[in-house]
Amino acid sequence: MEQLTHHKKSFFSQYIFSTDHKVIGIQYFVTGMVMAAVGGFLAYVFRYNLAFPGAKIPFFGELSAQQYNEFITCHGMIMVLWVAMPILISALGNLIIPLQIGADDMAFPTLNMLSYWFFVVSCIVLLASFFVPGGASSGGWTLYPPLSANAYRNTNPDFWSALFSGNSMMILAVALEIVSMLMGGINFLVTSINMRAPGMTPFRVPILVWFLNIASLDFMFSVGPLIAGAVMLLLDNVIGTGFYDPARGGDPILFQHLFWFFGHPEVYVILLPSLGAMAEIISVFSRKPIFAYKTIVYMALISSVLAVMVWAHHQFVSGIDPRMATFFSVGTIIISIPFAGIFLSYMATLWGGSIRFSVPMIWALGFIGLFLIGGLTGLFLGSNSFDIYVHGTYFVIAHFHYTLFPIVFFGGFAAFYYWFPKFSGKTLNDTLGKIHFWLTFFSFNATFFVLFFNGLAGQHRRINDYAMFPSLMQEPYITFEKISTIGTIVLILSQFIFLYNFINSLIRGKKAENNPWNAATLEWQTQSPPPHGNFSVPPVVYNGPYDYSMPDRAEDFIPQNVQSEKK
Amino acid sequence: MDATISATIPQRKIISNGMIAMVFFIAAEAMFFAGLISAYIVNRSVADAMPVIQQPRLPIEITAINSLILILSFVTLFLFSKKYKTESKSFFLLYITIIFGAVFIGVQGIEWVNLLHFGFSTSSSIYGAFFYTIIGAHAVHVIAGLIILLYLSLSLKKDKSLESVKNKIAICSLYWYFVVSVWPILYVLVYLT
Ligand code: HEM
Ligand SMILES: [Cu+2]
Repeated sequence: MEQLTHHKKSFFSQYIFSTDHKVIGIQYFVTGMVMAAVGGFLAYVFRYNLAFPGAKIPFFGELSAQQYNEFITCHGMIMVLWVAMPILISALGNLIIPLQIGADDMAFPTLNMLSYWFFVVSCIVLLASFFVPGGASSGGWTLYPPLSANAYRNTNPDFWSALFSGNSMMILAVALEIVSMLMGGINFLVTSINMRAPGMTPFRVPILVWFLNIASLDFMFSVGPLIAGAVMLLLDNVIGTGFYDPARGGDPILFQHLFWFFGHPEVYVILLPSLGAMAEIISVFSRKPIFAYKTIVYMALISSVLAVMVWAHHQFVSGIDPRMATFFSVGTIIISIPFAGIFLSYMATLWGGSIRFSVPMIWALGFIGLFLIGGLTGLFLGSNSFDIYVHGTYFVIAHFHYTLFPIVFFGGFAAFYYWFPKFSGKTLNDTLGKIHFWLTFFSFNATFFVLFFNGLAGQHRRINDYAMFPSLMQEPYITFEKISTIGTIVLILSQFIFLYNFINSLIRGKKAENNPWNAATLEWQTQSPPPHGNFSVPPVVYNGPYDYSMPDRAEDFIPQNVQSEKK
Repeated sequence: MDATISATIPQRKIISNGMIAMVFFIAAEAMFFAGLISAYIVNRSVADAMPVIQQPRLPIEITAINSLILILSFVTLFLFSKKYKTESKSFFLLYITIIFGAVFIGVQGIEWVNLLHFGFSTSSSIYGAFFYTIIGAHAVHVIAGLIILLYLSLSLKKDKSLESVKNKIAICSLYWYFVVSVWPILYVLVYLT
């Protein structure tokens, strides 16, 4: 087989400009981790500043108010578009989709490579924006005008300096990122529709693949209006149109609608892949078929339809007709039903299973537990009467970090620990994985749980120094700020354990078996790491993806590509 | 490797890869125009009378004729896709389509120059901003469509397989149909109402 799959290739075409989906997936993963380090460092700097206003920050120095704003803006943007998206959609999708459906590569390998390089350019544009005159974009990650339209009063801006301003560069970076994600999304959908192995009927496709595709659909359907809004914002910035300038007949709220038409589905775009990975992991480590497979798929489909009908819950405060507000409030609460359904199916899968507390599994369970807190507080916020009270406070910050952080990092790490042996051919150290989990778990909670209380007390987000708000500069809120910051530092330091484990295992790790977790899905039925072309014998599928707890077999599961003797 | 494997994996493609990709791409594009159009409609519903007083009138009549040319290009492309044979390689209708598209863009360009000359610019009024953005976005799509059609004419010359030829024509012309179909909506909204 080796000779068959061996292609003579230069280093460049094999590792840098590779069109192999596995290499591209790893490239996305690594780039995403680098951006996560940037986003995390920014968080460390401004968290430190919040607990010790004006202090000199170790490894950084003093943080000015302007810099504070730049840092939170770029932190939010980076974490959502340059960490969550590449890791959960692009990396996971590229690595897993072809393998799980039994294809030899993506439908459009060259497009896939292009997509990655667009992504790299977008990272560079974003990072470069810190160094232009005036600094990076600083009006909040949602880029609301007028803060994001620095030329909004200037009907005749100097084109080049306006183009190389923080705001314009941020918009360009986002645009490049979106282009890259669009290429990727189209590739995923085409691959999943047309390249499935024989016998891989739609309802034999693993949930992760379903969810990645639904997420891609969500993304492609919702991103158009954002592009429209961003084009208008860019024009406001560089050639002096007045789309968002009320003085000239424009309307800043318009941008909020266009942004959140994308922004809300975007939450599901990153939630779904992570949830999909959890389905794989929970089923394998409970040794039970996933509960209500079809219902889960339908629920996700329903949620993606509802997702584009709730966006205006972000405008409860900035101004919306109260009758509309009720509509969007109800919609928002309804959309929790499909997700509650998915979560209940996961719980039901755990129920009565013979659970193995492996490293991926504890990360998955941590994800479920933490996301519950995030999801439940989200229900509060969906009700517009409560939202008007806590809007723009740290309650909201804590809420969405309880959703986003578990999605990106708990889900991401669960997936990482689960699939690492497959793609590296090496085994990770379990003990380090567990220490990494517990440290991350506790420090994450320390960072964000206290912020719920600060938020309820009225502490507003996006403010660098509370000296002007004496009612907030008192106990226990000052202590809470410190707890949160110490939590952040421990959280970031814990990631070095992961880094060590990652690199050390790559170099010295034990060789991994082909199917260390006894999983049924196709990616585990080939070598670790899979050869170029993925399968040395093209797979033919006979079973569903979750055939565990098979009493009449020596092993308790049937791989998807093995014909069972029964029937 | 490719030969051995693809011999054993039956290809179960009902619709070709390229076609599916184009459909999804067009869906995303349609949402982009939907975003622009709804922004425009919302803005008009609250703004003062438009076209703004003291701003030049838009060239409705010339653009109407121009629209007809664009719609004709739809028809010629459709006929081309029906009539094209791999043996005869008659590109006449395809070239006509491309010429119609180019004429459309050319006339638009001349109109823009005139309007700018009369003081109707992106920053002269919000109406101007919307006009240039929406019509400009469409123009960019027409140009992209022309490039796709040129690519089609070049790649058909080399292609002998009937199936792949049909597929290429279907994919590329779908994009052109989309670009043409969006136009009447924009014309009615931006020029007429
Ligand atoms: C290292 C862990 C993290 C810490 C300590 C942290 C901390 C914070 C804090 C304190 C704020 C509020 C700043 C302010 O309003 O003044 C914030 C904002 C934000 N964070 Fe994080 N965060 C972390 C990870 C993440 C992750 C993983 C995501 C998303 C995937 C994320 C997304 C956001 C967003 C979208 C904002 C809003 C930015 C804005 O106000 O414009 N964060 N973060
Ligand atoms: Cu939302």
